[in-house]
Amino acid sequence: MPEIVNAVVNYGYLSLFVALFLEAIGLPIPGAIALLAAGAAAETGALHPLLALLVAASAMLLADCLLYFLGRRSGWSLLSVLCGLSLSPETCILRAARWFYERGRTTLLFAKFLPGVNTMAPPLAGSMNMRAGQFLRFDVAGASAYILAYGALGFLFHGMFQWIAGKVQAFSVVVGWVVLAGFAAFIANRAWYYLRHRAHRSIRRASVKEIADRLSGGNPSPIVIADVRSHGYYDPDEQRVRGSIRIEPNNLEAAIDTLPRDRPIYLYCT
Amino acid sequence: MALQLRQKGFDTYVMAGGLKAWRKARLPTELVPAEDVELLPKFH
Repeated sequence: MPEIVNAVVNYGYLSLFVALFLEAIGLPIPGAIALLAAGAAAETGALHPLLALLVAASAMLLADCLLYFLGRRSGWSLLSVLCGLSLSPETCILRAARWFYERGRTTLLFAKFLPGVNTMAPPLAGSMNMRAGQFLRFDVAGASAYILAYGALGFLFHGMFQWIAGKVQAFSVVVGWVVLAGFAAFIANRAWYYLRHRAHRSIRRASVKEIADRLSGGNPSPIVIADVRSHGYYDPDEQRVRGSIRIEPNNLEAAIDTLPRDRPIYLYCT
Repeated sequence: MALQLRQKGFDTYVMAGGLKAWRKARLPTELVPAEDVELLPKFH
């Protein structure tokens, strides 16, 4: 029997709350099995069904609200991090934002059933400025569907609990391996990136004071300052170094023809 | 990118600390031109 079942049996509502909260914030905790166990326990009278439902919903909503406000606070930087692995981060961010804008509400309804999506949907809704009331409505509906689906399954088929829990756990193991493989790919990508760019350490660096001194040395400017931020500009009040030009990293070849060869070029990003 | 440009004959440098260091030194900034801004969709 999975350990999570023993926890629900032994510690009741507290373990149910902790399991669902941790799952909602993205830790690999089998919340579905905890709900199955809670449903089976409710059938035997060990847990009160309504109280178990309220505890489970509270845990999920608390975690989701935390993630939502984290998204509100972090803005687009969340998507920037998520798209950091993409070959074209800017395209990835634009597509992801548009996709979630069109399907975000529906996604919130089903996100709980999709590992990974369940953790990413609330902060995305926050970073895309979804109204708190609207977010809560969809999130409560989605969380309720998830809790009722697994809770009812455990309640109605408590006699088959071992079999159902086994299947859910097997599915969780597969998802776990997929997530692990993704994480390994991320580490490998970072290592490859590090090794590939070791040569870049030879690039000359200049302090902002040195650049500012050179910038004030003449008119027209004796130097070029180039903004090479790869994630583009997404907010109307975005700032850049005064007088700098934009070089889009994914469009470097086209930009080369417009760059002067007779002046030093100082590149900067965030 | 600095290395790529240097390999193509440009005299390139990297600004240490980037925009953050520039702003921290209270050096002048400006708004990104509107034509360069691509607003992402937001819920309203």
